[in-house]
Amino acid sequence: MLPKFVSVIARAKDEALSWLSSLENPKIIAGGTDLMVKMRAGKHYSHVIDVAGVPELLGVTEKDGKLFIGPATTHARLSSEGSIVRNARSLALACGLVGSPQIRNMGTIGGNLANASPAADSIPPLLVHDAVVTLESRDASRKVPLEEAIVAPYVTSIDGKELIGSIEISPLRGYREGYRRVAKRATWAISRLGVAFAIREENGMFLDAKLAIGSCTPMPFRPRKVEDLLKGAPKNEATISDAIRMTLEEIKLISGIRPSYAYKLPVLKGILEEVLRG
Amino acid sequence: MKTIHFTLNGKRTSVDVEDNETLLHALRERLGITSVKEGCGIGECGTCTVLVDDEPHYSCLTLASKANGRDIKTVEYLSSSGVLHPLQEAFVRSGAVQCGYCTPGMLLSAYSLLLKNADPDAHDIKEAISGNLCRCTGYIQIEEAIKNAAEVCKCNSQG
Ligand SMILES: Cc1cc2nc3c(=O)[nH]c(=O)nc-3n(C[C@H](O)[C@H](O)[C@H](O)COP(=O)(O)OP(=O)(O)OC[C@H]3O[C@@H](n4cnc5c(N)ncnc54)[C@H](O)[C@@H]3O)c2cc1C
Repeated sequence: MLPKFVSVIARAKDEALSWLSSLENPKIIAGGTDLMVKMRAGKHYSHVIDVAGVPELLGVTEKDGKLFIGPATTHARLSSEGSIVRNARSLALACGLVGSPQIRNMGTIGGNLANASPAADSIPPLLVHDAVVTLESRDASRKVPLEEAIVAPYVTSIDGKELIGSIEISPLRGYREGYRRVAKRATWAISRLGVAFAIREENGMFLDAKLAIGSCTPMPFRPRKVEDLLKGAPKNEATISDAIRMTLEEIKLISGIRPSYAYKLPVLKGILEEVLRG
Repeated sequence: MKTIHFTLNGKRTSVDVEDNETLLHALRERLGITSVKEGCGIGECGTCTVLVDDEPHYSCLTLASKANGRDIKTVEYLSSSGVLHPLQEAFVRSGAVQCGYCTPGMLLSAYSLLLKNADPDAHDIKEAISGNLCRCTGYIQIEEAIKNAAEVCKCNSQG
């Protein structure tokens, strides 16, 4: 049995926001695939607010050249959603690799972000697409770049009275885009390594490269210096090996030396070689 | 306590559940559906799988209140006409059942696959049952049974 709590099902965003502001010790639940596991292990909240069916928090819309993703949209839906497959292929691929069919039918992208695991599969693709989250409370709304919203492993700057109202991403067209992940088993196992990439190249030159690496550092990150190096550089083995060396150095700079790097970094090197050589 | 209303295996059903109760608990303890089992309780083994609007979900990680207004199917649905479903026949014929603990969940994942994809290849089948663990068969017989059932279902729908 789970610890005792009172649960309410929100039918509209405003209802969820007003409960969040008025109820004592509230917690949002969407798919429950992270939260139910934690509550089962003893984590207690007085009130649980179910937002999985809130229409304003579901689906993907396009506006002014941006894509707005409802946080309660499931991984299953995002992996096959036309606008995501066309404009953010790395995200569609990553969502299609999360957990198992059951986990993808239940788990949502908002839950994946808010849980802020270093291994969350949707985060590297969202970073590549410069995701901005809208955080709403009953009385206010603010926009925060995803990169700033995650402040430490499993810690975000989302206030307890706030919910993610939407996730805004920039479509990338004309890029070679994808997501590579290494997991202990094909399914279930949380990623041991995840790389999202979007690369534009022409006549043997890298015009633009966006990379995001998950599960290597406390938070998934974009190696910006490496991206700068690639921009405008000739596409050859010298550039590629420089870029990889810099990436690995940056990881060690962020995290220091970790026992897992003995196997992780060589695997990352292999993935980056494949990705950059294309 | 709250009362939830949903369709269970094709029948309108109402039941009183606690706010902190899982769908797994409500099905087993209040509705007597013990084919839905608790293995790991944390979404890894799949023996608690039920279909929610024909898609597989883990009932151990689902609050019972989430079933309100939805269509819930358990393995009993497959033989509700009194005869075994072609998938169940195929599982029996292929020896896809040993201890039987994973079988209800396995059948539901397979059934959901066949609803969406009448002609699954080996990869589709493996993917569809990847959220259900079996520690006896080694999966080969299960995959074979699903493949065979797909053939039978195709014939049935053509005839
Ligand atoms: C067996 C198993 C395998 C898994 N495999 C993977 C995997 O391969 N890759 C991966 O990335 N993850 C994996 N996960 C983790 C999990 O499934 C994902 O993180 C999922 O996306 C969480 O979404 P949810 O809707 O279920 O979140 P919930 O459990 O409902 O919520 C998680 C957190 O997010 C908060 N939250 C939810 N929605 C909002 C919102 N709109 N605004 C503010 N806060 C919100 C909740 O309050 C809670 O703190 C796995 C989990 C399990 C149990």
